[in-house]
Amino acid sequence: MNCDDARILLHAHLDGELDLARDLEVQRHIADCPRCTPEYSAMLALRARLKDESLRYQAPAELKEKTRRAIAIAPGSTPASSQRPPGAYRRSMRLLLPLGAAAILALMFAPRAMGPSETQQLAREVVTSHVRSLMASHLMDVASTDQHTVKPWFDGKLDFSPPVTDFSKDGFPLVGGRLDYLGERPVAALVYQRGKHVINVFMWPAARDTTSVERIETQRGYNVEQLTIAGMNCWVVSDLNRAELSKFAALLKSHG
Amino acid sequence: MPDATTAVDFEAAFLPHLDAAFNLANWIVRDDHDAQDIVQEAYLRALRFARGYRGGDARAWILAIVRNTAFTWLKRNRGADPPAEFDENLHAADSADAGLEANAMRQADGDAIRAALEQLSDEFREVIVMRDIEGLSYKEVADAAGVPIGTVMSRLARARGKLARSLRARIEKES
Repeated sequence: MNCDDARILLHAHLDGELDLARDLEVQRHIADCPRCTPEYSAMLALRARLKDESLRYQAPAELKEKTRRAIAIAPGSTPASSQRPPGAYRRSMRLLLPLGAAAILALMFAPRAMGPSETQQLAREVVTSHVRSLMASHLMDVASTDQHTVKPWFDGKLDFSPPVTDFSKDGFPLVGGRLDYLGERPVAALVYQRGKHVINVFMWPAARDTTSVERIETQRGYNVEQLTIAGMNCWVVSDLNRAELSKFAALLKSHG
Repeated sequence: MPDATTAVDFEAAFLPHLDAAFNLANWIVRDDHDAQDIVQEAYLRALRFARGYRGGDARAWILAIVRNTAFTWLKRNRGADPPAEFDENLHAADSADAGLEANAMRQADGDAIRAALEQLSDEFREVIVMRDIEGLSYKEVADAAGVPIGTVMSRLARARGKLARSLRARIEKES
């Protein structure tokens, strides 16, 4: 792959829009090319900055109302009142909502035509596990706020012992743990809470030669942080906002 | 997806995308008030076309109409003064020290990014707004902008490149 192609494809790589083979090719080129590596980090940083919520114009509240009224009285539109008995709207919503939910689920679990890189694949698995843990009422195998109960519980179930710390005094109480399965191996999942938000922390031993990585990204509205703590691969996922999740990740790191 | 022919079904399908519609309109015309008018006009147009809506991505569909409405509006009202586009050649940064660019990106605050983004030409700005700010997939951007996916990819690459150079020039001028 030459630099001209890589300069374009690195964006599709960042956006997770490449098939696996192409994606690997791009990654390899970026890693080896002294000209493309800095370009890549610049684009990575730019992309992160563009996520800034302040860049998104918020529609004024009255615009929705105004638009709704305009639609209702528009010539050619068939107003609901003349066509449908009262309650029809609610009934149609009752039919639509499950459809919408099914569509969302289908999107969440549909295999993507274009495969992501391994790390992105893992990030996706992490988010899927998080979502599943919230849906399937299987958030915890051991429900306890006591780290001395949770840590020993993993003994005999895993071939490693994850570091378990309760951060109640910092506003992130430990609520329990469970076994999970990620990246083709059993992993420890610790569950923390922040207000109404649930944080899942997945841990497993890092391969000996891994250097410590730290990344943060957003997947389907969930924030995901990857870090290495005391020789453990550690993925933190939640619908909590980025700043608070980073604070939590920093706590984890300082106690690792 | 419902057969979007009645006002009620239409509302249920498209009103949830009003925020996205307003964001895109505002980034195209860069005026809060005009953006509101455009969104309303686009929704009324969409209602007329709704019989032609065959399901699929409701957000991309409504954004395509918002986009067309906004560009028509621009042509009608501001035909004479296209924005002064950032000229890369004038501010040619030495690509050999592109490492500085990542640093500049990290320093850039919301205001700097907004200003740089406003200076991009319409076709570059809209892909960044749709992909990076609104979070559309390449396929959705392609549907909304009416161009092939390959064009989305190359346009996005050029747009981000221009934005990065312009931001860096801005930040270096400040310091």
